[in-house]
Amino acid sequence: MFKLNKKLLISISAAAALSLGLSACMESATPADTNAPSTASIDGGVAYPVVNGKTGPYYVNEQAHNAGIKFGRTPTEKEYKEWNTDVMADGTGLPEGEGSVEEGEEIYESKCVMCHGDFGSGSGGYPALAKGNAYELHKSLTHQRIKPNIDGPIRIFGTYWPQASTLWWYIKDAMPHPLTDSLTDDEVYALVAYILNVNEMKIDGQEVDEEYVLNREKFLKIKMPNENGFEPNIAGPNGIENVRKYFANPDNFGGVKVKSSERCMTNCQEPTAKVVYIQGAGISDFHPPLSAVRDLPKEENTAFNAEKVYVESCAMCHGADGMGAPVVGDKAAWSTVLTKGKNKVYSNGINGINGMPPRGGADLSDANFKSVVDYMINKSK
Amino acid sequence: MDIKKSQQDLDSFDTKSSSVDRRDFLAKSAALSVTALAGTSLLSSNAKADDPAIVEPTEWGTKWGDPITKNLYGMPSKYEHNVTRRYTRLLASGNYRASIAVTPLQESMGIITPNGLFFSRCHGGVAHIDPNEHRLMITGLVEKPLVLTMKELKRYPSVTRTHFIDCPANGGQEWRGPQYNSVQFAKGFMSCAEWTGVYIKDILKDLGVKPEAKWMLAEGGDSSKMGRTIPMDKVLDDAMIVWGQNGEALRPEQGYPIRILVPGWEGNLCVKWLRRLDFASEPWYCKEETSKYTALKSSGKAIQHFYAIEVNSTVTSPSPEIDWSDLKDGDIVEVEGIAWSGMGTITGVDISLDGGKTYKEASLKGLVLPRCWTRWSYIHKYKKGEELLLTSRAMDDAGYMQPTIDQEVVKVGVEAVYHRNAVETWKVEKDGKVTHVEVRSQLDRKANGELVIEGKA
Repeated sequence: MFKLNKKLLISISAAAALSLGLSACMESATPADTNAPSTASIDGGVAYPVVNGKTGPYYVNEQAHNAGIKFGRTPTEKEYKEWNTDVMADGTGLPEGEGSVEEGEEIYESKCVMCHGDFGSGSGGYPALAKGNAYELHKSLTHQRIKPNIDGPIRIFGTYWPQASTLWWYIKDAMPHPLTDSLTDDEVYALVAYILNVNEMKIDGQEVDEEYVLNREKFLKIKMPNENGFEPNIAGPNGIENVRKYFANPDNFGGVKVKSSERCMTNCQEPTAKVVYIQGAGISDFHPPLSAVRDLPKEENTAFNAEKVYVESCAMCHGADGMGAPVVGDKAAWSTVLTKGKNKVYSNGINGINGMPPRGGADLSDANFKSVVDYMINKSK
Repeated sequence: MDIKKSQQDLDSFDTKSSSVDRRDFLAKSAALSVTALAGTSLLSSNAKADDPAIVEPTEWGTKWGDPITKNLYGMPSKYEHNVTRRYTRLLASGNYRASIAVTPLQESMGIITPNGLFFSRCHGGVAHIDPNEHRLMITGLVEKPLVLTMKELKRYPSVTRTHFIDCPANGGQEWRGPQYNSVQFAKGFMSCAEWTGVYIKDILKDLGVKPEAKWMLAEGGDSSKMGRTIPMDKVLDDAMIVWGQNGEALRPEQGYPIRILVPGWEGNLCVKWLRRLDFASEPWYCKEETSKYTALKSSGKAIQHFYAIEVNSTVTSPSPEIDWSDLKDGDIVEVEGIAWSGMGTITGVDISLDGGKTYKEASLKGLVLPRCWTRWSYIHKYKKGEELLLTSRAMDDAGYMQPTIDQEVVKVGVEAVYHRNAVETWKVEKDGKVTHVEVRSQLDRKANGELVIEGKA
């Protein structure tokens, strides 16, 4: 390893010397030129190697960075396994297990639908997981809303994501959103199977229908419709070099390179360019409302406001159809909920039920939580 | 008594001064004595014009203030309560747990964002981590995997750098036209701070990174386990693990106790609540570098690993929030703004008063640092009733200049969401109010899918 680092350090300082010698950075000298030695960096920009004890404008204690400092300890096997939960595109890190579409649907209905909506249709600010046949909808990625009445590209799991590994890993580590790391490996396989099903996807030519049972072996055969839809190509031994080449060409990413002495100072707009205004009211849902006034804050109303808490913490699921939660205002739904009595509704809410986390994820005392439930019940009479 | 004291001060100054100083002093005191003699006749005797702020005693000027034992951690004046981060329900995903609160650029000063105003973006809510129970684990293609406590981590030689963090979705709602009449929302998905931490390369020196290691995974310990893949080039250049922000510990909203800082690159790469670094020969395809944070072009292909924040700038004064409606005809006023580039150092900013048709050079102000906010300004004599289209355009030492909107959208389309860095325009209306506009052409599409400007010869 020391070999490697040495090599790297040597190459860095060689690059620094080179840049000094060639003054490559001076070519783009501009009015406020920093005169700091710089080299091309992987991102299309410049890096500032340490030269004469400075990187760019910053002084560096070079001794401190070469002192051979060692702290810490080696992790144990168990510690490593506990945290090493990532799943890579080739299946590294993907555990054995299996789950069916049918089981997946059941889990989805109890733990996911309240946010992701019926059949993954998305709702209340949560992303959609499916919108129909992924292979068909993949074609929408070339859509550009340059004029009114053009549909935009559909960027969801089936149509857009390059690797299925991302889905498995993300569900396992970060879902359900309010209570992560709570699903077994088999449950994750089942949910992935269900999501493939609602995206009408195939594995190895076979449709992921309602009978389908997914396991590790089959999972590794998933080919995402948009696998080759990304640039630069980061996979394989040339990944890094592909990135470097890609960002060295500003045309690839919409950049403009101009020598400052040659930049446009007059007639810099297309003759067709017009002033475009905000359409209608634009987006003006700002909280707190915009104000630059210097005054005393309004007296905080310290009394508990159930409606405010409902809007902030409950309406996301209880204010929209298709989320699995009884919708406020839906008399029938709430009278069903109330058949076991109000106390049961309170305790279900306090402890969490189906996909609802304890107290809906809000930080409330029992008394305050109950008054929010009362508010919702009263609104549904 | 005051006169006597100041006379003594002046006397002692006079005896020490050189002849030039003395001449200067004599001129000044002559001017002073004229004012003193003629003083009363220059003043208004209109009692109605008396400003109560001057002629009335104030509570704070006549009574004790707070003892120093109060507010041991200081807070802003209560009169500053409107200077705050703000959020919108449009971006309220995950019950505000996968959401953003943005920085009030209209009130920003200099190049440092105070910690309480630094924009806050999270994917599973703001975690509150006990630093005693937090570890950093380094594994993968290294000879010597490592676990560090926070105390051990802070023993490494510290590095302090001033860098902005810019969410690549800053301005991302406005690819197809202006939406926010607010500089806070149009451009405030970013902030700038002085960060203190350690170079990752300094920790790696003793770990024996294997030559096959090409990529590093950085992963958070919050409920979202946010992860991103970073190429070794950047890890071995200037990527840091930071615990300090503007001279104090990171705020929970910024990943307390530690986050990654990847100078100049997408804010999303600066993983908060960091707990794990892993090294591999292949990249990871994390959720936030595939499903999101990829820029879809009109070809249907999307740019992935779009690291650097490109050169950018905006006018911050005037703004829709703090406009020029109070200015009088002939007032001399400063047009001020921020420029930034994740690809290097700002070298210049041009300002246009006609929406980007013609430009003049603006002046840079204060410190000009790599991958950092840079202040610039331009002095303007305001004419009551005039309409202006204020457009700024920045350049950096990597050779890039901000594109016009037409230049950018013709190349990448209008669906990229991320990395929009075309010039921004603020219209000063006849009454001095400021509105957000864009100066752009209508796009058309050729049969082969290529985007072109409609009506361009």
